[in-house]
Amino acid sequence: MTRGDLLRTSFGNLGRHPVRTVLSAVGVTVGILTIVTMVSLGVGVQKEILQQFQGAGLETISVRPVTEERSAYTAFAEPKRTVLITPELVEEMQAREDVVEVLPRVYVPWGATVYLQAGDRELNVRVYVGDSTWGLNDPFTEFPRLESGRELVQDSPGEVILSKDALEALGYDEQSDWEDVIGQEVHLLLKAPRGDMASFPLVVAGVRDTTYWGANIGVTDALALKSWWYNDPDILEHEGYDMLRIKAASINDAAQIVGELQEQGFEVESLRLLLDNINRAMVVLQTMLGSIGALALLVASIGIANTMIMVVYERTREIGILKAIGASPGDIRVLFVAESALIGLAGGVAGTILGWLLGLGLNRLILAILRWQEAPVRGTFFVVTGWLVLLALAFATVVGLLSGLYPAARAARLDPIEALRYE
Amino acid sequence: MDVVVRAVDLARRFKMGNAFVDALRGVDLSIERGEFVALVGPSGSGKSTVLNLIGGLDRPTGGEVWIDGVELGATDERTLTRHRREHVGFVFQTFNLLPRLTAVENVALPLMFSGVPRRERLDRARTLLENVGLGQRLTHRPGQLSGGEQQRVAIARALVGHPALLLADEPTGNLDTTTGAEIMALLKNLNQERQLTVLVVTHDPEVASFADRIVTLRDGRVQT
Repeated sequence: MTRGDLLRTSFGNLGRHPVRTVLSAVGVTVGILTIVTMVSLGVGVQKEILQQFQGAGLETISVRPVTEERSAYTAFAEPKRTVLITPELVEEMQAREDVVEVLPRVYVPWGATVYLQAGDRELNVRVYVGDSTWGLNDPFTEFPRLESGRELVQDSPGEVILSKDALEALGYDEQSDWEDVIGQEVHLLLKAPRGDMASFPLVVAGVRDTTYWGANIGVTDALALKSWWYNDPDILEHEGYDMLRIKAASINDAAQIVGELQEQGFEVESLRLLLDNINRAMVVLQTMLGSIGALALLVASIGIANTMIMVVYERTREIGILKAIGASPGDIRVLFVAESALIGLAGGVAGTILGWLLGLGLNRLILAILRWQEAPVRGTFFVVTGWLVLLALAFATVVGLLSGLYPAARAARLDPIEALRYE
Repeated sequence: MDVVVRAVDLARRFKMGNAFVDALRGVDLSIERGEFVALVGPSGSGKSTVLNLIGGLDRPTGGEVWIDGVELGATDERTLTRHRREHVGFVFQTFNLLPRLTAVENVALPLMFSGVPRRERLDRARTLLENVGLGQRLTHRPGQLSGGEQQRVAIARALVGHPALLLADEPTGNLDTTTGAEIMALLKNLNQERQLTVLVVTHDPEVASFADRIVTLRDGRVQT
């Protein structure tokens, strides 16, 4: 029998009972549909996240100091730091060849109320320490731009960038004032609950377009605030920096630096680590959902085997005739396995198409939800690649093929004389 | 003397539940090339069993059956299949055509298992159908053919592989007398024109009369 004959015969036999063929293939369709949708989701999401993260900078590492575990006695106290980000560490990092940028950070103490004083007005403000690279924390939002002036440069002691809204609240409400205010002196007032107060003079370096009352200061000034607040002139020595951001030369360098820092005991965060965690979670999710598809295929396989056993039974006489006119047991086996494989393939084609369509539909749904939630995320979350299609079809065909092995073996073993007597 | 079929002490025992049935108890038979032999005997005499053994559809439990120098009892499944394909052609009482194929497709079917390409085997089938007088019925399905026509298709199918031996088991059993006679005449014709060795199993003496030689079987043995 040539391959063409085999296909033609199998197609012919399946085509004679279209309803039965379709019903047998439905199980495979469901299984393949599930698997295709799940895998395409994984591929799509991973691609999207990678793209987003790559844009944000997978070479960036965030290091935090390690604090003591809280106990019942220290539950509400400020935890003591056991591993510090020292200035020496910062210098070490800066000196490295595989490091592009090092940005130490200091946070304004939690609970400290800071006021902005200009002229005779005072305003409760939120203080941010840092510059535009702050936006790396959240790759999905854009850092608000400057209305006038310039950004803080690395540290910029004695300078502050104020938000537009804060200036407006202080009495500057003309557009032209945004230029005039540059170079003006303002004060940041730190008021302690115990009653005393410290005043820090700063020069306005820029105006930022943000909708809250904010002030941007550099690390040196932040340290000064912190030092006064904790009444510790050597606060840097005792507490180290609050956070260190390192930009490595490449993703691989970043991975290496992460390892080294972790060995030194630091808590390290990087988008790469986050990405790895997300990937791992995706794999688990995909495996779980893919297992459902696999289960469906198992059940489908049993269904096909059952159908084929009945088909063999129905065609007993025909098998006897075929054997009498010269078909070998191998020929008979091949005929039935081919039919069964074709049922699998048919189910696979339908399942792949439906899985692709379902992915398109779900994608549209997810984008609509994101738009409704005003999340700035966009993209294609379900991606059906060429190899996925081929794999799905091959898998479906194999499932059909395996299901047919037992029924085909039974057909091949039939005694021709008994079979001819049938019916 | 060119002996095509030689059965030596051929025996076939069947197991029926707990008991054994000896369908053949030692049959000696010799058929020469070009002979037209009729195998007659009452029902249960084992005639069909002899045919099945000669045709390779069954294996003997005792004795030997030689076809063209090959002892069938000792061969493996593959050789037996080849034997069925190349050396013998079967014609049955109930025609045994595939109902969903056309006449020409039915006749061509054995060649598909021999690996003959589609166009060639359909051509050969067409020729044979014309030879048996069914040139006008090529695309008919068995359901659209009369009993005699169906049997002609079966005969054409049996011949498509150019076998040396044609085995017919009660070929006229499902046909009326006239048609039956036509079929036997056809077989006789084929026997004479093509040197085709023909072995017909029948219980009908009129059918047997077409043969050159009649072998009688009774209770599993040849009656001399």
